[in-house]
Amino acid sequence: MLGYIVRRVLATIPVMAIVALFVFSLLYIAPGDPAVVIAGDQASLEDIERIRKGLGLDRPFLVRFAEWSLHVVRGDLGKSMFTGLPVTELIGQRIEPTLSLMVVTLILAVVVAVPMGVVAAWRAGSWLDRGFMAFAVAGFSVPVFVVGYLLAYVFALELDWLPVQGYTPLSRGLWPWLENLILPSIALGFVYIALIARITRATMLEVLSQDYIRTARAKGLGERAILFLHALKNAAVPIVTVIGIGVALLIGGAVVTESVFAIPGLGRLTIDAIVRRDYPVIQGIVLMFSFVYVLVNLMVDLIYTALDPRIRY
Amino acid sequence: MDRRTVLKGITAAGTLAATGKLAAPAVAQGAKVLKFVPQANLANFDPIWGTQYVVRNASQLVWDTLYGMDSGLQAKRQMVESEEVSADGLTWTFKLRDGLKFHDGEKVLAKDVVASIGRWEVRDAMGQMLKAIQKELVAVDDRTFKWVLSKPYPKILLALGKVGTPCCFIMPERIAKTDPFKQIEEYVGSGPMKFVRADWKPGALAAFEKFKDYVPRNEPSNWWSGGKAVSFDRIEWVIMPDPATASAALQNGEIDWWEAPLTDLVPVLKRNRNIKVDIADPLGNIGSFRLNHMHPPFNNIKARQAVQAALSQEDYMRAVVGSDDKLWKPIPSFFTPGTPLYTEAGGEPLKGKRDYELAKKLLQEAGYSGQPVTCVVAQDQAPLKAMGEITADLLKKIGMTVDFVATDWGTVGQRRASKNLPGQGGWGMFHTWHAGSDCASPVGYIALRASGEKAWFGWPDNAEIEKDIAAWYDAKSIDEEKAIVGRINKASMEHVTYIPTGFYYGYQAWRTSLDGVGNGPLPWFWGPKKA
Repeated sequence: MLGYIVRRVLATIPVMAIVALFVFSLLYIAPGDPAVVIAGDQASLEDIERIRKGLGLDRPFLVRFAEWSLHVVRGDLGKSMFTGLPVTELIGQRIEPTLSLMVVTLILAVVVAVPMGVVAAWRAGSWLDRGFMAFAVAGFSVPVFVVGYLLAYVFALELDWLPVQGYTPLSRGLWPWLENLILPSIALGFVYIALIARITRATMLEVLSQDYIRTARAKGLGERAILFLHALKNAAVPIVTVIGIGVALLIGGAVVTESVFAIPGLGRLTIDAIVRRDYPVIQGIVLMFSFVYVLVNLMVDLIYTALDPRIRY
Repeated sequence: MDRRTVLKGITAAGTLAATGKLAAPAVAQGAKVLKFVPQANLANFDPIWGTQYVVRNASQLVWDTLYGMDSGLQAKRQMVESEEVSADGLTWTFKLRDGLKFHDGEKVLAKDVVASIGRWEVRDAMGQMLKAIQKELVAVDDRTFKWVLSKPYPKILLALGKVGTPCCFIMPERIAKTDPFKQIEEYVGSGPMKFVRADWKPGALAAFEKFKDYVPRNEPSNWWSGGKAVSFDRIEWVIMPDPATASAALQNGEIDWWEAPLTDLVPVLKRNRNIKVDIADPLGNIGSFRLNHMHPPFNNIKARQAVQAALSQEDYMRAVVGSDDKLWKPIPSFFTPGTPLYTEAGGEPLKGKRDYELAKKLLQEAGYSGQPVTCVVAQDQAPLKAMGEITADLLKKIGMTVDFVATDWGTVGQRRASKNLPGQGGWGMFHTWHAGSDCASPVGYIALRASGEKAWFGWPDNAEIEKDIAAWYDAKSIDEEKAIVGRINKASMEHVTYIPTGFYYGYQAWRTSLDGVGNGPLPWFWGPKKA
């Protein structure tokens, strides 16, 4: 097992190298010039050119890529062209809100969606099943920002139960932290709940039709034990896979949610960096997210071994 | 007591029980905090290196200036106690006010001023003019500096006190010695507020704390002049990219003041009895249809005049500001209405009924043969997006072929710098706007310059306009200035340097619990106080 983990971690290196080359090349050929944005509307062409030189943007692609790669290998993601701050510092400032949002959304989604999918499968064809699946369709259909605006309007503006925007660090207390995350998590979790509920239902239906479930019923086991001890455990592998894949959905959705709820997370940092063409920040964030996603996939693979003893690496 | 407070109380009790301690407050109890949503993201904090308005607006809190502009557009003393100019107009001697300190506790000295001017004049248009005629700029003693010129420069105080960017902010010498094309790394000034570097999250939050050793002038404040006494202990700039969120936050009392609400959301804010809405800047903005004088079709004056003949400022302004007639006015001028130099001399082409037939005739005379006009339009800037749609329709109505490039402002910025042919990465026209404070006179009005290849994007070329702009800087009386500006306006209209699409205002909105919010080209933080 340890050998497997080490092999998987080492395998991230070529993956990260490809991602690094891809994102660097994409930014190089994309239109837009950070020197123009920095110089402002009143600047002359000479000013823009001097700023471009000062930022090293006039150097050849390979020189810039080699220099950046060498720094990355040493853990230095460079400095933002706009703020002059280290990219690692910028990421460090923003990681807690995004992580908090993703964790709370993940917990909410799993806690709501898995039982929903189990019950829908158990009562397949009933009004309960149809109701849950209609909810799932709505979850896929309604954009995150629409859900966000509606939640903010109802629960913040009209009922004044929760704040409209912002983020409070956990160090300032559990409720202030949670208070700012409830609405964004529901908005972001909506599509995630829909996805997990549908997959859970589909896999549960397949498992519930198996012979061993019929045997369990024949032995006189209660429905709860059958559903959650036997069926769900056997249906868990695809569900966990989808949860893992859904982390990518969360990362993308966090961008919109953070803008709607003014959460100072990595999603907003990414958007700001893209709009400004702040290349080091974009590169650093994409690399970091790629690494996180690779790690998440590794964790999902390891969880399989806990769920299904037949799976061994 | 409202529901949120009850919920908070219950959970706080639970948290207290669970953790055994209260959450640490971020700000001292009883501190007066102002939460302000600025017009844009404060992505960097060097007002010389980055000349965006939002950087200037934040910088005014941290760095002071030698002079400051008042509502009459006059430069008044700020850090300067007195100034003298020799009879020949060549030697200026300035004395600083006593007791000026930087946020690190050091005194503001004349050598700091000399270094700061040196950094500013590399990047600023008026600064460059001064540098070109500068014989000497030295600190005479700790509070006095001398500026010796080779020819008189009557607008020197205006240069030091103007609001157009970059402004001449005074920094400690060690910081001011930074290359003007590189960013500073320390944010120490002598202004009424200190920048709280530790709390800065670019794109999310910038915080400023009161500088207890700041000594405001003993005069009432008037825009950027007079006594700048800030009543808040802390000012937080909360960046909110989503206008709907900012609107909701203002209604909910989570923020106090919103610099630039979207026009569409203003009716909702006006209906809220806890919110006041008013014009933000009486100097407004001038929309711009910027043509490329270098390449066809607009390298031909008749083609430019064709668009000018058909362009309806009402159409553009309604697209930008909606149906609120208080928010816009037509201007047959390149200058800001309501300012001393405003003139409509030569503005006839933009007055009266629009003439599509004349436009078509002019296009024919220009030899226009259907080549596409590449319109590069930023979709992420609401006024520019609106203007772009009107332009596409207008050009088609007068018989032009439109190549509409819908892109973002960053790409517009890059593309407009290209002197290539429109079909090879260049452009035919783009939209922008100019702050009214930058169009009140030829000072820093780069969009009006017609110096050909050295001019601003579009590269208009007209020696007569350039001669008059140079003459304006040497003008010795307001009457002389007005006469020159009249000639500049007329010549620019005839040459169609660019086409003003109209004059418009923007709103600002704030909670009624905040008194003293004024208006101006920047948000002033030394008037407001919480009721």
